[in-house]
Amino acid sequence: MSHLRREIIKVLFQRRTYVGWAGLLAIPFIMTIALRLSTEQPSEGHGPPFFSSIASNGLFVPLAALAFLSFFLLPLVSAMTGGFVIAGEAETGTLKTLLTRPVSRSGVLLAKWFVAVLYVGVGLALVGVGGALAGWLLFGVQPLTTFSGGQLGIAEALWLTALAYAITLVGMACIVSLAVALSTLTDSSLTAAVGTLVIVLILQALGQFSYFDFLKPYLFTARFEDWTNLLRQPIPWRPIWEALLVYSGYIVVLVGLAVAAFRRKDILS
Amino acid sequence: MSGAVNEPASEAAPVEAAPSSREERPEQEACAGRRVVLSTHQLTKDFKGLRAVDHLDLSVCEGDVFGFLGPNGAGKTTTIRMILGLIYPTHGHVQILDHRVPDQRLDALRHVGGFVDVPAFYDNMSARRNLRILGRMSGQVTEARIHEVLDMVGLSTRGDSRVGGYSHGMRQRLGIAQALIHRPALIILDEPTSGLDPQGMKDVRELVRELGRQGTTVFLSSHLLHEVEQVCNRAVIMDKGRVVVQGPVSELRPASMSIKFVTSDQPRAAEVLSRLLGAASIADSGPESLRVTAGDGLVPEMVRHLVAEGIDVLAVVPAVEQGLEDFFLQLTGASAEERAREGGAREERAREGRASGEDDQ
Repeated sequence: MSHLRREIIKVLFQRRTYVGWAGLLAIPFIMTIALRLSTEQPSEGHGPPFFSSIASNGLFVPLAALAFLSFFLLPLVSAMTGGFVIAGEAETGTLKTLLTRPVSRSGVLLAKWFVAVLYVGVGLALVGVGGALAGWLLFGVQPLTTFSGGQLGIAEALWLTALAYAITLVGMACIVSLAVALSTLTDSSLTAAVGTLVIVLILQALGQFSYFDFLKPYLFTARFEDWTNLLRQPIPWRPIWEALLVYSGYIVVLVGLAVAAFRRKDILS
Repeated sequence: MSGAVNEPASEAAPVEAAPSSREERPEQEACAGRRVVLSTHQLTKDFKGLRAVDHLDLSVCEGDVFGFLGPNGAGKTTTIRMILGLIYPTHGHVQILDHRVPDQRLDALRHVGGFVDVPAFYDNMSARRNLRILGRMSGQVTEARIHEVLDMVGLSTRGDSRVGGYSHGMRQRLGIAQALIHRPALIILDEPTSGLDPQGMKDVRELVRELGRQGTTVFLSSHLLHEVEQVCNRAVIMDKGRVVVQGPVSELRPASMSIKFVTSDQPRAAEVLSRLLGAASIADSGPESLRVTAGDGLVPEMVRHLVAEGIDVLAVVPAVEQGLEDFFLQLTGASAEERAREGGAREERAREGRASGEDDQ
């Protein structure tokens, strides 16, 4: 608990924490204002998912923002956050300051990983809340029409939207875990973040080719849209559970590798 | 020669290794019944293509202010990193009180405070908050204790300022403060006066001396030989990853080494002393300096002979007044230029190794 407390205090004292959160919060507002002021609304099948529905119902704003962000910006934020976890402290020299104290390396790393995921989670929550607020203010809200043609009450729609964000957070936790693992292998946070992004982009590219279809069920990047199943009636839970299982597998393996590497790492920075 | 002298790793080392009686003694005996706070046992660290620390054996006794001397690239920082559990030895281990490092790192570090290289802190936080966070990692720390250590290092008026605005010297002082915060039995300071102005150096040395007087064991790494002479009671001189000599600082000087003469006629003085002591005794003869290898007890005799030959003796610097610096250079047998070149080459190799993620120094 003391590890967590310390890491949370450190994050709260960093200016970039608030810059990142402010940026994420701004995105749904910018998106909504741009759509509100635009004379031409996006037509069905054009633009990012859910964009064409925003004008009819502000409840679609957080969903559109999630779909829009989860393919690049959220992975970018996750990679940068995770990449800084060990390598960033190595760069600033504080890693050695930390580890000359009687603290378990595993405990330090797990706390840092958790706080990195928490940071992304708060960022996602700001996007969701900001999106809902912007949608309500600029387009109003009403019962949400699902893919199946049925309607969801506002409360249920908000609850499912929150669930969609939570599922996406688990997906982003995979990216954080990958970045943390790379962060233990280098003393450059940029290298760890860029390395993570390259791997994510490669996995996303693999998912685009039918030749690699046999890999698709195991690629966490191929699961980033699975939350959209929540907008079907009845909800097909199987792909959602499968996505969570794949995400969890990656997280366990990557965090395990990170702990193993960090425990044996020579701190030379 | 005094002190326990080990064979230097340098091929050029000219000083004959004396029988290392102190080295062969059990560490408890070296500490004369005092508790051994820190010892290393065949401690070795290899980086890619470089042995940074080579089977290092040393022991630091309770209450010692122990100097850890060596030129750049000698392996001091690597040794300290192993002591603090930051890097893993290739061979051997460290013992801090009853705990082995790296196996019992957490138990060992509860008794240790210190820093390695330049002390680093969370720049966005105040010194006080940094100390609170770091101190709590070693146990309970009160606000009164934080104020006390800030006061000890002369930072009490700047304790609430962001560390990001601190000068190098202030960071060094804060490094010492964080080392002291949990009242450890052993304090490890890696070149604590580096970057300080003369007054700052004086203050830090006085603080270290005071810690020693209070019975705190201090392990002080330095390449400033006079600093070790001023502050430490025992020391080890390290070169190329190995111990060259260790023992009480008072004994770490040559008993029979070169005596410097400055006379009105240096060539004739060299002839006279050569006749008196034998040609082999003239260590160095030139217009500016004349060095003779002989015991200090022979100085009056040498002066009498020179005066009898009509040579004015302008100055005599007997071995006992020469510092560790002369002794160190004689032990390692390298000129300053050679040392600088070697150090540079070692650092270059280390940088290459570090780039591959496996090196240090």
